[in-house]
Amino acid sequence: MSVTPTATTPVDLEVLASYEDAQVEGEPDFVVELIDLYLDQVPRLFDSLHAAIENNDRATAKRHAHSLRGSSGNLGVLHIAAVAGELEHLDNPCGTSAMTLLQNLESEFRRVKEVLTAERQRRSR
Amino acid sequence: MKILIAEDDPISCRILTANLKKWGHEVVVTHNGKDAWQALHTQGAPSVAILDRVMPDVDGIEICRQLRREKTDTPVHVILLTSLNRREDLLEGLEAGADDYLTKPLDTHELRARLQSAGRILELQESLRQRVRELEAAVAERKLAEEALRNLSLTDQLTGLYNYRGFLNLAGHHAKTSRRSKHPSLLIYADMDGLKEINDTLGHRAGSMAINAVADILRRTFRDCDIVARLGGDEFAVLVPNFQKTETRNLLERLERNLRRYNEESSHEFTIALSVGAVEIDHQQSVNIEDHMARADEVMYREKRKRKKDRQ
Repeated sequence: MSVTPTATTPVDLEVLASYEDAQVEGEPDFVVELIDLYLDQVPRLFDSLHAAIENNDRATAKRHAHSLRGSSGNLGVLHIAAVAGELEHLDNPCGTSAMTLLQNLESEFRRVKEVLTAERQRRSR
Repeated sequence: MKILIAEDDPISCRILTANLKKWGHEVVVTHNGKDAWQALHTQGAPSVAILDRVMPDVDGIEICRQLRREKTDTPVHVILLTSLNRREDLLEGLEAGADDYLTKPLDTHELRARLQSAGRILELQESLRQRVRELEAAVAERKLAEEALRNLSLTDQLTGLYNYRGFLNLAGHHAKTSRRSKHPSLLIYADMDGLKEINDTLGHRAGSMAINAVADILRRTFRDCDIVARLGGDEFAVLVPNFQKTETRNLLERLERNLRRYNEESSHEFTIALSVGAVEIDHQQSVNIEDHMARADEVMYREKRKRKKDRQ
């Protein structure tokens, strides 16, 4: 799978906004809830991926990469979704190229976190 | 609708739940295959199941396969969640018995459309089940009506002669109205010999033909005003009203002649034999037709035993 870096848009905010449809009046902001779930989930997935790669546990690495791709896709975090997909489909998801991809993912996540945190604040106001 | 979600990913699960609830569905959430299976097998189980293809224990495809192995009148509508670009998963899922699929990342418009289609299918299935129930009820009612009609009927379906009930009604009525008549009536009991053998060796169709042949012979032998009946099985009875005592011999001889003539025609697979018992009814003495029938039956049986002895 080839990846086109989308450096300018780490998060497609339109995808996030589409979840406003599911907002129930009087309940906490649904999009904020999803952002919180994501910001909580991703660092734990990174930890699990590091551990799996260290233990050369390919099946587990593949599964976590799959989860990361799924969640990121759902929230419109397109670049991470694409790279996670690439990691998931590596012949060896525990090799050196896997490690490189994971580092890419972590640095991208720092940018994503900024965007999502700002979005969260905007919505919480 | 009541919808089950089986999805281990918290975000995907939350998006599904929020949308379904917003659209007014009742949602049952599970995060693994085992809980999903259990939820689908409890009282008032969901009618739609959205199953993730990939789950830590039992995956969606396996649940699907196991569900389809069950015989049920109310199959759950299964929507499989698969990742985009995984065509082989999709095909495997449909082969396993999934009704529909959704790809991740979720498109809520698509989700909504898929659920509407599920609703239509479930409604159609329910109306079919309802229709089947109605038809079954109608058939049962019809059967009862037919049975009631049969009970009311006075004629024998197979031969068109009077049946037992018809005979009892007409002969009984005649006995009552003839109470003051000086003319007695003649009651004849006729029992086929060897119907069982015909049934056993030539089949029940031949047996029915033999019964009809006896009916024809009786019709030919007696007059229109005589009451001719098939009482059931291989038993027949005739009531000849207002007869002259001197006629008895003539009548029985005519019956014998007609039987012989039938048997001499070479085209039949079987021959017909009748054991006959005849009693006179003096209406001034008794009005109970059933007593006379029992008497005629007795005479007939003596005759039958005698014929059996003669044959040996």
